[in-house]
Amino acid sequence: MIKLDRRLILNFDWTLFILVLVISGVGLLNIYSAGFSLTDFRQTPLYIRQIQWILIGVAGMAVAFLVDYRFLSRHAYIIYGISIALLLLVFTTGYATRGSQRWIAVGGFTFQPSELVKLTIILALAKYFDRSQSGRNYRLRELLIPSLIVLIPFTLILKQPDLGTGLILIILFFSIVFFVGLDWRSLLLAAAGGLTLTPIGWHLLKDYQKERIMTFFSPERDPLGSGYHIIQSMIAVGSGGIFGKGFLKGSQTQLKFLPEQQTDFVFSVFAEEWGFLGGVILMVMFFLLILWGLKIVLHSKDYLGALVAFGITMLIFWEVFINIGMVLGILPVVGIPLPFLSYGGSSMVVLMTAIGLLMNISVRRFILQS
Amino acid sequence: MNGDARKWLKFRIATLLAFFLVLLIALASRAFQLQILSNKELKALAEKQHTQTLLLQPDRGIIFDRNGEKLAATIMVDSVFADPTKIENPAEAAERLAAILQVDRTVIQKKLSGTKNFSWVTRRIAPEQARLVQELRIDGIFLVKEPKRFYPSGELAGHLIGFVGLDATGLEGLELKYDHYLKGPPEKLLWTRDAKGKRLYPRVEIPKAAPRENYNLVLTIDNRIQHLAESHLKSAVKAKGAKGGFAIVMDPRTGEILALANEMGFDPNLFSAVNPATGKNKVITDSFDPGSTFKPFLAAAALEEGVVKETDIFNCEDGHYAIANRVIHEANRKRHGALSFHDILKYSSNIGAVKIGERLGKEKFYQYIRKFGFGEKTGIDLPGEVSGILRPVEKWTRVDAATVAFGQGVSVTAIQLITALSTIANQGVMMKPFVVRGLMDRKGNVVQSYRPTVVRRVISAQTATRMTAILTDVVGAEDGTGKQARIANVAVAGKTGTSQKFDFSRRAYSTERVKTSFMGFFPAENPQIAILVILDEPQRDKWGGVAAAPVFRNIGEQILNRFKTNIRVNFAPDEEKTADDMKLRLISAPAPLANQTALEGDEAAVPDFRGMTIRDALRKAKEKGIEVRVIGSGWATAQQPAAGLPAPENRLCTVTFSMGS
Repeated sequence: MIKLDRRLILNFDWTLFILVLVISGVGLLNIYSAGFSLTDFRQTPLYIRQIQWILIGVAGMAVAFLVDYRFLSRHAYIIYGISIALLLLVFTTGYATRGSQRWIAVGGFTFQPSELVKLTIILALAKYFDRSQSGRNYRLRELLIPSLIVLIPFTLILKQPDLGTGLILIILFFSIVFFVGLDWRSLLLAAAGGLTLTPIGWHLLKDYQKERIMTFFSPERDPLGSGYHIIQSMIAVGSGGIFGKGFLKGSQTQLKFLPEQQTDFVFSVFAEEWGFLGGVILMVMFFLLILWGLKIVLHSKDYLGALVAFGITMLIFWEVFINIGMVLGILPVVGIPLPFLSYGGSSMVVLMTAIGLLMNISVRRFILQS
Repeated sequence: MNGDARKWLKFRIATLLAFFLVLLIALASRAFQLQILSNKELKALAEKQHTQTLLLQPDRGIIFDRNGEKLAATIMVDSVFADPTKIENPAEAAERLAAILQVDRTVIQKKLSGTKNFSWVTRRIAPEQARLVQELRIDGIFLVKEPKRFYPSGELAGHLIGFVGLDATGLEGLELKYDHYLKGPPEKLLWTRDAKGKRLYPRVEIPKAAPRENYNLVLTIDNRIQHLAESHLKSAVKAKGAKGGFAIVMDPRTGEILALANEMGFDPNLFSAVNPATGKNKVITDSFDPGSTFKPFLAAAALEEGVVKETDIFNCEDGHYAIANRVIHEANRKRHGALSFHDILKYSSNIGAVKIGERLGKEKFYQYIRKFGFGEKTGIDLPGEVSGILRPVEKWTRVDAATVAFGQGVSVTAIQLITALSTIANQGVMMKPFVVRGLMDRKGNVVQSYRPTVVRRVISAQTATRMTAILTDVVGAEDGTGKQARIANVAVAGKTGTSQKFDFSRRAYSTERVKTSFMGFFPAENPQIAILVILDEPQRDKWGGVAAAPVFRNIGEQILNRFKTNIRVNFAPDEEKTADDMKLRLISAPAPLANQTALEGDEAAVPDFRGMTIRDALRKAKEKGIEVRVIGSGWATAQQPAAGLPAPENRLCTVTFSMGS
């Protein structure tokens, strides 16, 4: 299962590793600031916990790097099954915060299975599409099983309810379908079906989810209620200016005007304190990460590796884009964390593990004989 | 993967990458829009959210006496305010605060129960109370430093200084008159406020648009002389059972008020507890019939007009002199036969005064009364001055003309009286009385200095000297009415006075209710101090020479004791001396000392130009063979070298002229 090979070290993907560490380091600094005035002396400061998450994440990364991804893929469905089981566990033993039941307790930590599902469905879909490769584009009915792979966790997650993660699963699905190729007739059919199903889907949404979407289109509707997040976020970001207010000097951050400032809105903390320049530099770093991910996709020795690498890259890109878009007020507020910056163990560990997988694929093109 | 598929994949990934790039550029554009284009508005919004402003009371300048002693100052004290929305249990908080602040619990509870997020609880509390309030640590109760007016010397010069109200605005006296200069710009207290409305980091800020800084006031008052005047006046009022009294000490050469005492008991620290009427500075707001103290001005007019000589004899009618339907008597029903002009003043004969008045003529008399400043405000820099009552001469009956000669039927203020007397002391030149020497900024630089102002020349120096000689005899002669005002080792010139109060119910002058007064100056040969003392309705020793003269003597004696040989130099700090944290600058050059003076009339000496017009000064200078450099216009106020000093070799004298009031 694990073979320590000299080549694993010789061809180690330092660029990816350092890039992720730098982004995580920036994130850690930012968490320090976000939690600076929040911290209650009775609790462990947020940044200490974040360091713990990063370390656990690096451990996960190491494991994901060392284990051959083909071995992992062999067990993809089992892993997928376990993650679904954990999602079900959320409903029985999980605990809720703010009206949403998303977490289960593992030891002293809490864990969010929906974060894990993001990675396991990538593995499951990759395995499926790798197996069902036919050299031509997929028809709609051939997508039935992969749809089910996504829809099962999607339904469960929507029930928690967690619109953001649900949305990411759907987007991941479409991204991977784009990768494997869809027959153009099927594409038209899917588009038509999607359009007719949207109003029905609207009715299935919870009231607060509808509210969020409505608020996105006009945040001034309810400045103290659901519009508050968006308005406060825009004020914080906008007041940062070109160079920002400086580390620990973001007034909106330090005075807690930002909701969820250490989790989903962590980018507004960063943008307030580091300004437009800091924000753009961070976005460039993410773009480099995406670029690198896509390079790994192109250079991977097998289709399976390309699929997994592509899925992971897409996961990172869409999370970054939707999160920042939400913070800047051009996308609706949905609960999606900013990779490597948002406070939270599940996301950090899962994403670090995913990066481990990327490095795994990156390094094995020198090892595998295709 | 085969080659074609890989190519196709490459193409799709490149397309995807381009799409992602577009999306990221969209994000960056949005960030640009928020952080650069809308930065100003959003920053303002942020500021508005996390700062809360409270307008604080402005600071006030310090009032110093001429030596730099603080008469009024501002100290920072704590005030308690509440944010009622943050108080969990108003009843309990009120209970605990009430115990410390000694205010009714229900009053406090009401203040703590509002829906607004700001309310004053108690302002300006004692430091000890502030400490206890702090220790309560009640959420929603805050302390803030506010300026409080404090009068370190208590009652000293209280009527002069006045007081300020709760809103830090001057309400009386100098605090009112100079409010504009003393009052600082309003300060703002800014809090940083967190999202839950919790106040953090308070800081005080002065708005940038503040008009200017506020100034400190330097008075002409000497707190030591003020203290002397007040204490002697107070004990006299008590001893004589009087209703009250005034004492004014003035430098006749400059018009500077050195002390201004009002006996009525007024502590500006406790202004709210006293009747507002007692806060009035009666020295300038009340007028009265001057009585015999008016006679010297009649006499000066007569001498100036040349209608009498000191030795002219007047028939004093043995105490009964009928004019129209009225019979004039002497005070205390004394009887005088024939008296010289000199003696009429010495004995203060009413009938004699009437006779002098008759010789002078009422028009001339009226003219001099006006020239001496009666019937108009002196222009002293204090609020509320009145001009007294002087009916136009056309309306005078024969009786009026007669009674005005001995100070009845004319109404004057104490400040008018001492200003007029100082004119005689100052060789006939009237100086405008003033109490503020200058304004200084908070760093101690002089911003504005008020120089002595010549009002006009009223009588010639010769007439003034002759009058001084007569008045010196009033005090100095064994049988003079002002005997009790004598001060050892110094020649005092002065005049007593008793004015009967007009009884409106009986429409006649009361013989029971009188104002008894003494005014005088010394040293007679070179007057440096003029003092007026008035006692209101003394129950004992109603006649001026007896009640008021000793007060004059006591004040004068102690001024002399304190300031020894040269009064003037000791009054004013020198040019370079720094008193406290401020630099005082002399407003007027010290007058020459008596013993320094060269012989009068000496060809080499510089003549006294003060009070002269430019034309007169030039004529005089020509006579003496001195060249004059003219500065300003109006009447001469200062000269260099000083009068009586030897003329410099170039025979040049610089004379400063300024317009009188």
